[in-house]
Amino acid sequence: MVIDIHAHPVLFDVINPDDETLSFRKKQLGVYKSGRVPLDFALRLMDDAGIDKTLILGEDYSADSLRPLVSNDEIKTVLDAAPGRFIGFAGADPRKEDAKDELERAFSKLGLSGLYLNLSRLRMFPDDERLLPLMKLCEDSGKPVIFNAGYSWMPDTPAKYSEPVRFEDIACAFPRLRICLSHLGWPWHMQTVMMLMKYPNVYTDTSLVYMGTPTAWYSQIFTKEMDIGWLQNSFADKVMFGSDLPRWRQVRAMKGLRDLPIRKDVLERLLGRNAEEFLGWRERDDR
Amino acid sequence: MIVKLYEKQLESKKEFDLILITDQVREAVADSGVKDGLCAVITQHTTTGIMVNEGLPDVEKDIEILLEKLVPHDDPYVHTRMLPSYGTCSGNSPGHLKSLLAGNHCLFPVIDGKLVLGHAQDIYFAEFDGLLRRKYYIHIMGE
Repeated sequence: MVIDIHAHPVLFDVINPDDETLSFRKKQLGVYKSGRVPLDFALRLMDDAGIDKTLILGEDYSADSLRPLVSNDEIKTVLDAAPGRFIGFAGADPRKEDAKDELERAFSKLGLSGLYLNLSRLRMFPDDERLLPLMKLCEDSGKPVIFNAGYSWMPDTPAKYSEPVRFEDIACAFPRLRICLSHLGWPWHMQTVMMLMKYPNVYTDTSLVYMGTPTAWYSQIFTKEMDIGWLQNSFADKVMFGSDLPRWRQVRAMKGLRDLPIRKDVLERLLGRNAEEFLGWRERDDR
Repeated sequence: MIVKLYEKQLESKKEFDLILITDQVREAVADSGVKDGLCAVITQHTTTGIMVNEGLPDVEKDIEILLEKLVPHDDPYVHTRMLPSYGTCSGNSPGHLKSLLAGNHCLFPVIDGKLVLGHAQDIYFAEFDGLLRRKYYIHIMGE
């Protein structure tokens, strides 16, 4: 199974009934010139890329933006419109008193599969105590968490709040909680490598193509700044394919991974198996 | 003088996709009421083209092979960066350059209310950055 673990559904037509809503989302995420994407066309693009499922991220910064960027109910709307093709992650604004209640509702009533947090957008460090109830709920519920780590394309997102090593306290305090430090934590990707090596519950994704082509960029990161053996032999079970849709077209981001000089079994892990383990669909071999 | 503008939509199915639109252009000419004049077919995009050639799959494949030779996918293009105005990465320089080679429009005579084409000529909407939903104009002017 091929899974794209990192996609923002902000442009999907089924959650953008009017131009005002679409404009709000485009401005918040910073995808200004992009247009509304019909859901059936998004599915065709997934088919073209050979992607079975795409994980879509709910995002809630409503303590300062009046409404969630993509609400949990809107994530559920997308799931219902294309059964089996999307995995929904919830958003919850930890600055709001009802954040835990909303997350509980997203899990129990809406059936969402995990939590997404961009602490740079929230301007909260990972050791902020307001995160603890959410982390505990996720750990107790067996739901993983995806954090923005390192750089974020989103406007108004100071990177200092998302430095990978700052997530160490969460990884230690919640050892049964699977967390993804997305974007390989770039430009602090060596910190992320340390986190992957040290903590069995820490994963990352490949939504980090910020310059050049995916082929050139992944080659730079995984074969020049690292030895390719690092990825293949030391954390092949921790890296998940993520496109960062709509920042990159899925088929092109995936081509960059396919062009890496890696073994077939490693590529299969990157494209799907690791995501299945992260999501709790498959047991992970910790030996 | 009659001036008619038709906006047509289509969906390309792959990254490089030559889509025959001859019938759509003929229909627009017939609908326009223009007896004698000119018909322009114009793409709305910067990574597509409008081309005329013989509608045969082997010719289409040769065109694809030639354009790929001239504009390889993996050359070190300048247009490979984050675009702040889009919030996305520019990963489609080959499409822009193939569009330049193909041209954005073609012109045809309209005589006796019919589109005039050579016997081997077909009109293509040329996709170089698919798959995408696309638009093109058929602009007919005459009497």
